[in-house]
Amino acid sequence: METSPGLDLSRWREAPHGVGYRRLTIALAGLRQLWRTRFFRLLLAAAWFGGSLIAAGGFVFSQSIATGGWLETLAAKIGPRAEAVVATAGAVVALYPDTCVHGVFTVLFWAHSFLGFWISLLALTSLVPSLITRDRSSHALVVYLSRPLTSSDYLLGKLGTIVGVLLLVWTGPLLLGWLLSMLFATDRDFVVYSFGPLLRALAFNGIATVVLAAIALGVSAAGRSARITVLLWICLWTVFSAMALQPRAPAWVTRMSYTHNLGQVRQEVFQLDRALGAASAELPLLDRNLKDSLARAGRKAESTDFGGALAALGAFVVGASLVFLRRLRPE
Amino acid sequence: MPPSPSSPPSPTLPAGRPAADFIIETDRLGKTYGAHAALADVTLQVPRGTVGLLGPNGAGKSTFIKCLLNLEVPTSGTARVLGRDIRQDARASRERIGYSPERDCHIAGLAGCEYVTYCGQLSGMPMRLARQRAHEILDLVGMGQERYRPVDTYSTGMKQRVKLAQALVHDPDVVFLDEPTNGLDPSGREHILALVGSLWRELGISVVMCSHLLRDIERVCDRVIIIGHGRLLEHDTIANLKNRHRRVVEIAPAGAREPFAAALRATGAGVVVLPNGRLRVESTSESVEWILQLMQAHRLPPAEIVANPDALHELFLKSIADHHGNEPRS
Repeated sequence: METSPGLDLSRWREAPHGVGYRRLTIALAGLRQLWRTRFFRLLLAAAWFGGSLIAAGGFVFSQSIATGGWLETLAAKIGPRAEAVVATAGAVVALYPDTCVHGVFTVLFWAHSFLGFWISLLALTSLVPSLITRDRSSHALVVYLSRPLTSSDYLLGKLGTIVGVLLLVWTGPLLLGWLLSMLFATDRDFVVYSFGPLLRALAFNGIATVVLAAIALGVSAAGRSARITVLLWICLWTVFSAMALQPRAPAWVTRMSYTHNLGQVRQEVFQLDRALGAASAELPLLDRNLKDSLARAGRKAESTDFGGALAALGAFVVGASLVFLRRLRPE
Repeated sequence: MPPSPSSPPSPTLPAGRPAADFIIETDRLGKTYGAHAALADVTLQVPRGTVGLLGPNGAGKSTFIKCLLNLEVPTSGTARVLGRDIRQDARASRERIGYSPERDCHIAGLAGCEYVTYCGQLSGMPMRLARQRAHEILDLVGMGQERYRPVDTYSTGMKQRVKLAQALVHDPDVVFLDEPTNGLDPSGREHILALVGSLWRELGISVVMCSHLLRDIERVCDRVIIIGHGRLLEHDTIANLKNRHRRVVEIAPAGAREPFAAALRATGAGVVVLPNGRLRVESTSESVEWILQLMQAHRLPPAEIVANPDALHELFLKSIADHHGNEPRS
């Protein structure tokens, strides 16, 4: 930095950072603006509480095979029947770790995917109106596009903000919950057999992130006022979901709901049906009613339209991106 | 249109400045919206310095700037800014360019200093450096504590200042200013014009200033481009343009003006007494030496002599009228 003798101004002659840095700047600025809103901080607290619930669930489960562990001590205090139940459960887990650990963590992550998904939707509802709409109404696109940035860089920067939101409210708590529960696990089997469900949970999280981010960007760019954007977003979310819930709705109607499509993808990716079916078929000491219930629940959790749902989600992503790029012109 | 050889001398450029001869080079640049040609066959080469962009409303000035910045895609022709093709090197061509648009453009929710820092980062500056330079630039454009308030709450004048600050924060080699003094009070206008004028003189930052205020252009710029109906009408240094114009001198005598007027009329020059008491003289000579000699010969009292006082204004009107095939209003 040198100083001009006349104007009291330092000079900047270094090579500028690359385009990756500029996209990251856009993404982080979006996150900083969101952090200033109380609602977003509240959602973050709820999301990380959900993550801590995974950790707590995993911890309690891992204590089932710990000799002299917290669960065994508690059962002993309650009485001999509880002690026997815990001992039996511990024995089953020790004998069938693949079925039990895999199944329990599949259920845990599957349940968390609902929490993460709904918190993400709420976060995006609060974020979407301001994401692009505010830039459009204040003609900020000129500020961005008159710099060494293209529409694609702007798109990727905003996408980064949405991905950041989803990482903070969904992926982060999921990973933290799993890590904490593994930290207190009493056996290596917990790490080994919970890893598969974790990867499946992350896969679904990744698919949902791409889809939600693209739709959020498209919706955000569609309207110039926040009110229109919120209405469009709520319409896409609730109206089409309600239509998809109709029992006799044709396939093309149900596929218009991205929440329904993501639900189908969730069923396929988590493979809850297989986990429950395996538990029903392999685990001993379960009475017939429980076995039947598990099998029924497994059948209910089967994906019925995975291919169609995935194709519809792909169409959503392409359509939303086209809307975004078409609308993204300096005015 | 090649530049005139009588361009003003360049200041010593800071180390690291690119040695491109021209800041703008266009070849038959055009932009059409349907059947309407907003810009047609604009071919010019603009050397470094301070350039004024003149033209009536809807002449294509802003379209010209937007095409150079890639905010509008040209429909024909080519353009290079700082030696870089605007289409082939889209990103790189804007690395060393600053732009202060005419209309309000800001990022809502950010305080003035945050906004300028953010703009610096968008141009690739590291965060700390961008923040430091943002404060320096905001000082320079005359922003005080209001820099900590959200930009949305700024008055028009403050928005003008912050627009100029964001255009300068990354130390560009050329800055495009679209009506930079709009909405400023007289002292603010003086401040900004002085700053714009010193950008080239002291820092070597070329300025392309678009303004309706001809006096602002005349005061700050050493070169003028006149655009009308999307076409390039004039491009030359202000000095050359004034010399090409009919010679007009305004004289404000310190004493009685009648002896002045009589002496001048006796030489055959056209003399008009203006309402403000000045004498407007149409001369055939390029210099005012003959008037000084006349004053000495007739022992006339001292007088203030202003050569070509409204030359740019008249030239502007003439260029526009010539394009329409009409006589200029004067």
